[in-house]
Parts: sequence; C-alpha cells; structure tokens
Amino acid sequence: MFSIAFSELIQLFRNRLVLITSFVIPVVVSAYFVRQHETFADLGSLGYIAAIVLFTVAAFGLYTTTVTTLASRRQNLFLKRLRSTAIGDSGIVAGLLLPATVVAVVQVVAILTALAMVAGGPANVPLLVVAVLASLAMMIGLGLATAGLTNSPEHAQVTTLPVTLGVIAVTSWVGISGTENLTVLKRLLPGGSATELAMNAWNGGVAVTDSLRLLAPTLGWVIVAVVLASRLFSWEPRR
Amino acid sequence: MTPLNDRRDRCCHWGMSTTPVIEVERLNVKYGDFHAVKDLSFEVRRGELYALLGTNGAGKTSTLETIEGHRRPSSGTVRVFGRSPVERDVVRPRMGVMLQESGFSPDLTVRESVRLIGRLTRRTDDVDRVLDLVDLTSRAGRKVAQLSGGEKRRLDFATAVYGTPELIFLDEPTTGLDIQSRDHLWATVDRLRENGSTIVLTTHYLEEAQQRADRIGLMHDGTFYREGTVSELTRTLPAVIRFALPPAAPALPLHYVMDGDGKVAIETFGLQKDLHTLLSWAQEHAVELRDLEAGATRLDNVFRSISS
Repeated sequence: MFSIAFSELIQLFRNRLVLITSFVIPVVVSAYFVRQHETFADLGSLGYIAAIVLFTVAAFGLYTTTVTTLASRRQNLFLKRLRSTAIGDSGIVAGLLLPATVVAVVQVVAILTALAMVAGGPANVPLLVVAVLASLAMMIGLGLATAGLTNSPEHAQVTTLPVTLGVIAVTSWVGISGTENLTVLKRLLPGGSATELAMNAWNGGVAVTDSLRLLAPTLGWVIVAVVLASRLFSWEPRR
Repeated sequence: MTPLNDRRDRCCHWGMSTTPVIEVERLNVKYGDFHAVKDLSFEVRRGELYALLGTNGAGKTSTLETIEGHRRPSSGTVRVFGRSPVERDVVRPRMGVMLQESGFSPDLTVRESVRLIGRLTRRTDDVDRVLDLVDLTSRAGRKVAQLSGGEKRRLDFATAVYGTPELIFLDEPTTGLDIQSRDHLWATVDRLRENGSTIVLTTHYLEEAQQRADRIGLMHDGTFYREGTVSELTRTLPAVIRFALPPAAPALPLHYVMDGDGKVAIETFGLQKDLHTLLSWAQEHAVELRDLEAGATRLDNVFRSISS
C-alpha cells in the first residue's frame, strides 16, 4: 500500500494541473475566507468559516482528486496493472487515496490553525477533529461512488460538479441560516450535519452529546457512498 | 520451423512435467446474455509453453483474465497452483502477467514503474538487472509517457519477468516490437523456461506459436475448436504439394486443383507416398516441376479451417 501511496505522491507533484486545481486553489479560497473572517463571521459565525474552509478543501481538493485519480488510473489500465500484483483491492484504493487524504488533512489543519490564530481558537478541539475526519471520510466515500460513474479524468470535470457545488451550497445554507428551520432536511443533506458539528465544535454552546448525534447522518452518507461505490465501481474501462 | 522431436527433447531438458500448474474445468464466462466462454476445460503443465489462440471474439481474453484472477467465472472452476486465482496474496507472487495493453502511469519513470510493480508482486529482484534484461537501461530515467510503443511492451515484459516467476502470462508479447526486440524477448523466454518457468502465450503471430508452443488451445465461439501439439493440430488437415506445370504436360497421376497463383496444388494425407509418385511421373515424362514445394499444413491453415 505504501509503495502505491509513494508513487501517487510522486505523480501528484509531477502533475502541475492537478496540483493547482486540487490543492492550490482550495488553499487560496480558504485563505480568502480567513482573511475576510470578520465579514463572514458577521454573515454566519467563525464556526461557519471553519466549516466552509473544511468543505472547500474536502470538496475541491480531496473529493475531485479522488474521482480524477481513480478515473485516470482506470482509463490507462493502471488499476488493472496493480490488480495483477499480490496486493488486495482495499490496499490498492488505500494506496491511491492516501496521499490526497494526507495532503487534505494537512491543508485543513493549517488553515484552521491560521483561522484560530487570527480570530480565536475553537471551543472544542477533539469535537472539531471528529467533524473534520467524518467530513473527509464522507467525501472520500462520495468520491469512490462518483468514480464509478466517471469514465475519464475529463468526464470527472462534469461528474464531480453536483457533489462539489452541492456540499458547498449546503455548508453555506446551514452555516448562514442555521438549522432552526427545516432541521431534518438540512441535517440529512450531504455536509449539513457535518457543517453543524464543525460549527458547534468551533463556536461552543452546545452539549457534546447533542453534537455527537450529528455524526449519524454523516456516517450514514459514508455507508451509502461505500455501498454505491461497491456497486458502481469498476476496475477496468467500460467496453 | 523447429521440428517437434527437437522441441520435445528441449521440453524434457527444461523439466516439463505432467503436474498441472493451471487447471480449468467446465469454465463458463457470461456477460449478461452473451456467453463468452462455454464449458471450457484444459490444463497447463509445469514447464510447458501453452499457446491460447483463437479467432476474434473467441473468448480467449475472457479465459485468460479468469485464469489471471481479473474476473470470476460464471460457473466452473479455475485453479492456479492448486488455488483460486483470486487469492492474490498466495498466487500472484508466483506468477507474472504481461497485459495486452501497458497499464503504466505516464508520469512515473521506467525505473519507478518496475520498482513499484516489482515490490507489489512480492518477488525480489534487482531493478537494474531487469531493465538490462529488456534493454531499457538507457531509458530508466524517462517517463513512461515518453516511451515508444515497443519500449512500453518491453517495460511490460520487464514487470512480468521481475523476480523470475514460476508462471508467466504473455498476452500478445511481441506486438509492436521490431525483429531484434522480438528475438531478444524470445531468447529471454527460453532462459526463463530453462529455469523452469511455465508460459501461457496468446499471440496473433501464428508462426511464433507454431515454433514455440508445446501445446496449443485453438478457441472458437467460446470453446476449443482443437487442442494439442502443433503436430496433432496440423495432421488433421492434408499436406500440400504445390508446383507449376509447363504447358502441354501429360495428365497428372494424382487428383489436383489449380490454386490462385496458377499453380497445381495436391492435397494429401500421404505426403511421402504421393510425392514419390509425382516425382516418378515427372522423371518418366521428363517434366520439370517448377517452384516445387511440399510440406505439412501450417497452423494458419488450421486457423482458416475454423471459418470454412
């Protein structure tokens, strides 16, 4: 697995286009949110900024990279090549996605640290860690499922749009308007409960047990995404 | 063409045995309503070079991919080294696979690609030795995207033979290779066989299969049309005597047809006897048999007989 991960890391840094679209742009956008934190805090809260930067990295960085990587490796038969070796399927997927996941974690940690330094830290760091990990897991799962519908890296530019724009929209909707109205709908939408969890962790004022209940919809999306992926994902290009 | 007895001697010297490395029993592969492989059964013995040939759409790729463990059979059993080929951690360290298409990441270098796939096979070898084996040392630092088609095939071959596996699948190994690279590849295959490796080959170059295969499985419409040694396959069709006759030659003593080149073609299952009859007749009538050719039928004629 680590051999694959290392080779993916090499490829990631050799492919400038992927590096810029998936890793530089989310950081730049997030930096803008942090710099304008007073404006966005007035619009929602500091927790909203934490949630929006989290999902900017998770959606534009991790999710799109997951889909593009898997579609690309499948299209050029690299997945089939890897399956000709002794490593199992889960090891292949883990190896392919590990570098993008680690980079996303580093990005989120760096950006949230910057936000804490300029605007004040989160109320509950462990809860924020849970929110970040759950959100990233959900986006990886959705990426695996979307990769099942994606024929090529070019096709990924289209297939990733609904989820990418969707979770950013949900995050902004929940972050700005809260969940007092349409509570169930907002929490069940992908990214809705994770946004509320991240906001609770940053802003405080909500019991930890109440916040942890918000994990259920997010983990539910992980399960749905993995089930979809297991049905949709193919290791070879469609004939 | 290598005489059969020579090949048999070579087989025995190289340690071919009757122990099956691959056992396929009543294999069926279906894609929806399409029945790609139908009740196929065969064995590949340790140390032999087995060629799986067939017409387009005959089912050889589905068969090969099932044996390699890339897909599961719809029904029937496939055993490789006595295990299911989908047990990758057990079977794959003992087998190398040269895919029909390369399947390498274009952004990795040749050396990185061999090192990566080599490690993942869990066999041990020296990357430089393997690169030297396939004459890619000078390309070691180049990205795969910069390689020619032939160089990519050699890279594919390098990963298949990394660590000298016991069983090697070669899927169209010489497609896109120049003649020198072909000779080099076959020389390497010969050395692998001396080392006891078993080879499963698919190729569209029938002369390669005819020269090198110990046995051939000739597939058509999802199952075997014929299976056996080259001799066994070709003896089912008549040998051919072909020559040009001068004008006004007396009547021939044997039944014949005129082929497309205006030559006389005599098909026979008794080549030596009929050739003797023909030569005696020519001697007696002082007739010159120009461009005389006589020989057992070739594998491509067996192939053509499938569709006739």
